[in-house]
Amino acid sequence: MKLTELMTTELVETELKGTTRDEIIEELIHKLDNEGSIKSKRKFKKAILAREKEGSTGIGYEIAIPHGKSKAVTEPRVIFGKKASGVDWNSADGTLAKLIFMIAVPQENQGDDHLKILQILSRKLMNEEFREQLLQVESNEEAYNLLEEIE
Amino acid sequence: MKKVLAITACPNGIAHTYMAAENLQKAAEEAGIEIKVETQGSIGVENEFTQKEIEEADGIIIAADKSVDKSRFNNLLLVETGVQEGIHKADELINQIINEEADVYQTNTGETKEHKEKMKDKETQNPFYRHLMNGVSYMIPFVVVGGLLIALSLSLGGTATEEGIQVADDTVWATLLAVGEASFGFMVPILAGFIAMSIADRPGLAPGMIGGYIAANGGFYGSPEAEAGFLGGIAAGFLAGYIAKWIKSWKVPSVVQPVMPILVIPLLASIIVALIFIFVIGSPIAFIFSGLTEWLAGMEGASSIVLAIILGAMIAFDMGGPVNKVAFFFGAAMVAEGNIEIMGPIAVAICIPPLGMGLATLLNKRKYEKPEQEGGKAALAMGLVGITEGAIPFAAKDPLRVIPSLMTGAIVGSVIAMMFSVGNNVPHGGPVVAAFGAINGVIMYFVAIIIGTIVTALMVNLLKKDITTG
Repeated sequence: MKLTELMTTELVETELKGTTRDEIIEELIHKLDNEGSIKSKRKFKKAILAREKEGSTGIGYEIAIPHGKSKAVTEPRVIFGKKASGVDWNSADGTLAKLIFMIAVPQENQGDDHLKILQILSRKLMNEEFREQLLQVESNEEAYNLLEEIE
Repeated sequence: MKKVLAITACPNGIAHTYMAAENLQKAAEEAGIEIKVETQGSIGVENEFTQKEIEEADGIIIAADKSVDKSRFNNLLLVETGVQEGIHKADELINQIINEEADVYQTNTGETKEHKEKMKDKETQNPFYRHLMNGVSYMIPFVVVGGLLIALSLSLGGTATEEGIQVADDTVWATLLAVGEASFGFMVPILAGFIAMSIADRPGLAPGMIGGYIAANGGFYGSPEAEAGFLGGIAAGFLAGYIAKWIKSWKVPSVVQPVMPILVIPLLASIIVALIFIFVIGSPIAFIFSGLTEWLAGMEGASSIVLAIILGAMIAFDMGGPVNKVAFFFGAAMVAEGNIEIMGPIAVAICIPPLGMGLATLLNKRKYEKPEQEGGKAALAMGLVGITEGAIPFAAKDPLRVIPSLMTGAIVGSVIAMMFSVGNNVPHGGPVVAAFGAINGVIMYFVAIIIGTIVTALMVNLLKKDITTG
């Protein structure tokens, strides 16, 4: 399975507009809603914020991975957003989050394939070179092509 | 080289778990030490440690934001922290183990020891026992289905005759009886097949089942009256398994390789097992059968107590196998001659093995695994209608402890019945024949059954250990 099977070109945004964590979460959820993989924006947002409350998903290395498992999600999806100037995500190492991967996972078990690919993405993000490449992308298309390599 | 274990886990188990795992692996590589990371994420536990790895490890790092069972790690250096630390401070965590700047984890509960022993059991368990268990576990449902259907049809649709309990043709009971017998027919082949499969994987299944079928059908080796029974099935299963495994080890050209598991191994192994069973094992069984029959006929004039001891022991020894059959036919022949005081003790002995095992599972649940406890209830039902086979799963799983207990109980029961001249007109066993009015001396018949059952149950529970401590 490829990571891009959980994404579409619409689900990549290299120039996020929001300037706070909550604005960016709102912006990404809006995109997800337009794409049609969530039934209720409100319910999914609740799941995302509940996870943030348990502990920030700003994992450092300028990355945040807000994620939610919810009945409101119909298909597993990943959205990638970039904020070149960074946003405070209360990250473990104090860095501002510039690379944001929002992950939406359905409540019911749909097999392990999507979980395995997210596992590979997580491991890949620990690779400095890969992060550097992501920070340098200038268009949505370029970002999508880079993420297409993950399988 | 140092060996370190690590567990990573987080509440959702989608991302952090694996990020921490990745960084710990990287940090270990840089430090030049060996590491194995068990991830407890939403996919479940992956990369689980074996008992051996835990024993050989220098320490364990737990980087988790949810609770992780530590009982496995008694006496290991333990560094316990959050998953974030695993991501960002992987190298520090590893250094803490290398420099032994961590405490040794100690638990005072008995849990750890148990878990360790359980794991050990799994890994070092006698392979003979493991194969046997595999066969028995697949056999149990066939015994239960067959036994209960036969019990039901005999008790509700049967009439007592000189040829045993007969079910009238063209009734629903006759159909149920036939279905139950079909299920019983699978018992020995399934036992043998899955023993062989445990030894040689899939290619072992066909030779094992075929060998088991031959074991269960004496006509193959000139002994149509007394087939080799479940003990023969166990022999066939092991034979088939090891032959298949041996053929598997042959070096063959790569063109032949693809047809090895589906054609060559099953075919050759089946032929070899069949030949061995028919010519090497089968004829002695037929010989034993006729020899025992003659010997028993010669015993007719001997002390009736000695005869009761012998008959009780034979009935319980192989539960439907050749030795059991010899004793049963002897009793049936005596009924035909008008001597019903031989069949009385036999009828007692017939139902003691399943009743005894059923009672044993009720008395002490710790000595029996869940499916065995269920099997115990079915065994009770089978015992009531005189189906000795109900005890087979227990005997096949642990023959050295179970069979002597069954024999002892059956001997006690048959001796009591003999002493009080309990008679039985119908060549069948168990309380059901009393319900058909075929028993002379009903009270002592039941006394004998009850005492024998209790003896078996107490003895087997005394010999068996609790399952948790292996």
